Amino acid sequence: MAATCMSTRALLETAFARELKNVFLLGYACRSNVTSAPFRRNSFSVGCCPTVQARQIQTNIGHHHLRRCCTRHNHVHCRVSLHQPASSLSTFLSGGKTSGFPLCSVGSENAGQERLYSSSHEDAVRAAKSVTVDPYKLVEFEMASLASDIKKLLSTKEALLSTMAHHFFDGKGKSFRPLVAMLMSKACNAHNLNAESMLWSQKIVAMVVEMIHAASLVHDDVIDASDTRRGQPSLNKLYGQRRSILTGDYILSEASIAISKTGNTRVIMILSSILEDLVSGEFMQLGSKEDENERFSHYLKKTFRKTASLIANTCQSVAILAECDEHISEMAYQYGRNLGVAFQLVDDLLDFTSTTSTMGKPTAADLKLGLATAPVLFAAQQHPELHAMIMRRFSNEGDVEYARRLVEESNGVEQTRLLAHQHSKEAERSLQDFADSNSKRALILLANMLLQRKK
Amino acid sequence: MSKTVLSVCDKCVRNLTRVNNSSVHHARTLSAGVKLSTKHRRRLATSQAPPVFSLASHQLSNPGQDNAAVWRSCQSRGYRFSWLNGDTGVSKAVSEAEKIVGYPTSFLSLRCLFSDELSTVALHIRKLVGTKHPLLKTARGLVFDGKHNLQMRGLLVMLISKAAGPNPDAEYAEQEMVSGVYPNQRSLAEITEVIHTANLIHKGVVNLRDVLPEDGPLSDLEFGNKMAVLSGDYLLASACTGLAKLENPTVLEKIAQSIGDMMTAEFTNFSDASGRPEMPDHCKGLSDWLSQTYLSIGSLVAKSCQSAMILAGHSATFQSMAFAYGENMAYAQQLCSDLLPFLRRDELSSLSLTSAPLYMYKEQATAEQFSRLQQLLEAGPDNYEKVVNLVTGSGVVQQCKDLCGQYRDKAIASLGCYADSEAKEALINMVTVVSDVR
Repeated sequence: MAATCMSTRALLETAFARELKNVFLLGYACRSNVTSAPFRRNSFSVGCCPTVQARQIQTNIGHHHLRRCCTRHNHVHCRVSLHQPASSLSTFLSGGKTSGFPLCSVGSENAGQERLYSSSHEDAVRAAKSVTVDPYKLVEFEMASLASDIKKLLSTKEALLSTMAHHFFDGKGKSFRPLVAMLMSKACNAHNLNAESMLWSQKIVAMVVEMIHAASLVHDDVIDASDTRRGQPSLNKLYGQRRSILTGDYILSEASIAISKTGNTRVIMILSSILEDLVSGEFMQLGSKEDENERFSHYLKKTFRKTASLIANTCQSVAILAECDEHISEMAYQYGRNLGVAFQLVDDLLDFTSTTSTMGKPTAADLKLGLATAPVLFAAQQHPELHAMIMRRFSNEGDVEYARRLVEESNGVEQTRLLAHQHSKEAERSLQDFADSNSKRALILLANMLLQRKK
Repeated sequence: MSKTVLSVCDKCVRNLTRVNNSSVHHARTLSAGVKLSTKHRRRLATSQAPPVFSLASHQLSNPGQDNAAVWRSCQSRGYRFSWLNGDTGVSKAVSEAEKIVGYPTSFLSLRCLFSDELSTVALHIRKLVGTKHPLLKTARGLVFDGKHNLQMRGLLVMLISKAAGPNPDAEYAEQEMVSGVYPNQRSLAEITEVIHTANLIHKGVVNLRDVLPEDGPLSDLEFGNKMAVLSGDYLLASACTGLAKLENPTVLEKIAQSIGDMMTAEFTNFSDASGRPEMPDHCKGLSDWLSQTYLSIGSLVAKSCQSAMILAGHSATFQSMAFAYGENMAYAQQLCSDLLPFLRRDELSSLSLTSAPLYMYKEQATAEQFSRLQQLLEAGPDNYEKVVNLVTGSGVVQQCKDLCGQYRDKAIASLGCYADSEAKEALINMVTVVSDVR
């Protein structure tokens, strides 16, 4: 173990000064500062960084690997563990946002784990062939720090605001959206940068997406007058509607600040379109179409805007950040769109098949809100009496129970599942032009897994 | 009928962008060659009638009409009349300034208001008539806001853009400008207004558990919240898209920070959960008032002015001076409006627990004196006159007036880096009229 006193910033500056192409921050550090260090050891630490309140940044680098990568691929992948927000590291990394270090993955300290996040492309392919991939396992390290990193972004001096803003980031949620973002990042990087790791800007996108999602949940709960969320009292139940809404706006503003730091105007544009889609989806939910044929396309459009747009645009953003070509980023978008639609379809059918205890939210909730989802719309083809109920938004006494029974008697749920299945297959097909990698396999697996989910 | 009104009003909107802003003009255009029902004309004449109410009654009496059209007609009408209701000095300054930037700022957020989404809100909002949901008041304020100078933020952004002039590094910079303002600076001005409006709307969400029976039926208020959340979200989302289109991450960051600041302002101990002003127990005095004013008003104005400089590629000095102008302008304006109840008897009812003179009083008075003041305040509006007399007697009011003048002077001083121009003149004029305490 060799310690150097050089600050990370100083390292960056030196690296820039030498104008090294494909500078690998820590690889460079290794060569210039730890020359006499026993290289056979797998880790060393870079000294204190004054700009981040003298907290130690620990780096683990496999020496053998490092050398091989340097000579053969000019790539070094490293893991930086730190105790402070990823944002501040990214801030000063972004100071020289250019070709710098596209291959740093940033995360919080993960107790006791000495995992090496460096693998060449061949390694990845070999690993993919031998190991069955678990999507969550693959990004476990990045995921572990996600909630705490977001919390740090959302910390303010007003204690109540911090508490309220942190409410959703207790790490108990599914984190489905960041999961997709992370896996897609890695799949794109494996495709285009020959390295299956995450860029810091991609990590920011994953955080921003979870924040936008949380803000929309906060606002949805007020709009739907919902008292519970994930089996717990909702924010508006605890603190009142007014401050809940303002908290949602606050989360959104912090998400915008975070995304501005990536400095990529195209990504900023794409991510801002998510917000417009979310709102217009919510507006679409206010009314239902008179025409029965239009109703289904209205529903699918709404589903895209409310759920799939977020995932699709995220996937496209991380592909752009990986500097993938137009075709691949479009395919990433298509994957996200289909996955998102399938996800929502399954969500809608679970509302009919699941019980309250497994879902964490009351079932037949959509019906109670007056919303006609896919199972009902399919069932209406067999039971025309549903049309009248759809139009009056299940507002009469007994409508909800009756509609539920009719859906059970019809094959609405199966048809919904079939539609979800088609979208999942379509998602899988979108990935065919991606280079083979663990993450790609995990994305395919994910598209299939969500069809089986029970909650 | 609504169709005629729509076409007439659209015409007015187009005309008004070119000609002067007098409301007389609008009335003339309306009556010129167009047959209007007497009912509609009467409504135009009585501009005091809250448009949302008239919209609602219109809806109820003419079901199935083009709601968007009615909403639009209310909008364009109301905008023209708003200056009549306002403080004359301020409105004169505003309308003169508008001519300088060649763009009536009243239309800044009009594009948003004309969207399908907000037309849906307008359609639903009639359900709120008869309740005390704040959304009604905000919607009314959007149309008749003479007093709060709703559109002033956008105007300031454009004026300071013009005062600063073209990008010093760009060769053909001036050709891109319209009336001395870059198109992206105009967009920024619009975004600033939209964000402010969204914030007003979201602050008007009510806590359903605190609702009193006289506020209206619970289900209606719940519905009002839904509309408020949706319309505010819509405005915020369009602001975000607008910011993204500026293609300047620094500006996005600044404006997003100011949104965060406005939200933070609602969580300080200056107001309770429902947004009612509260005097915090452990406040240190005027410094607390200043930081609160910065968060709730100053940040947006200051950062918008600064961003206008960033967009045109101006120097760091220009940027910080623009920021300083916006910030000091906000302090001066807020001090002035906080002083009003102490200076004018008819404004007595607007006395707020968080007004600057009370903070200054707390700073200077003994604990005993202050607790007496607090007792008076808590006893309700009947005692406000006593409060005013007590505070005025202590000399605090005069000090606040002086302070207001100081912030005005600071704002004017920060314009020193800009060359003399009519836009600069207008900026000085604006800060002078809003801080006019007499």
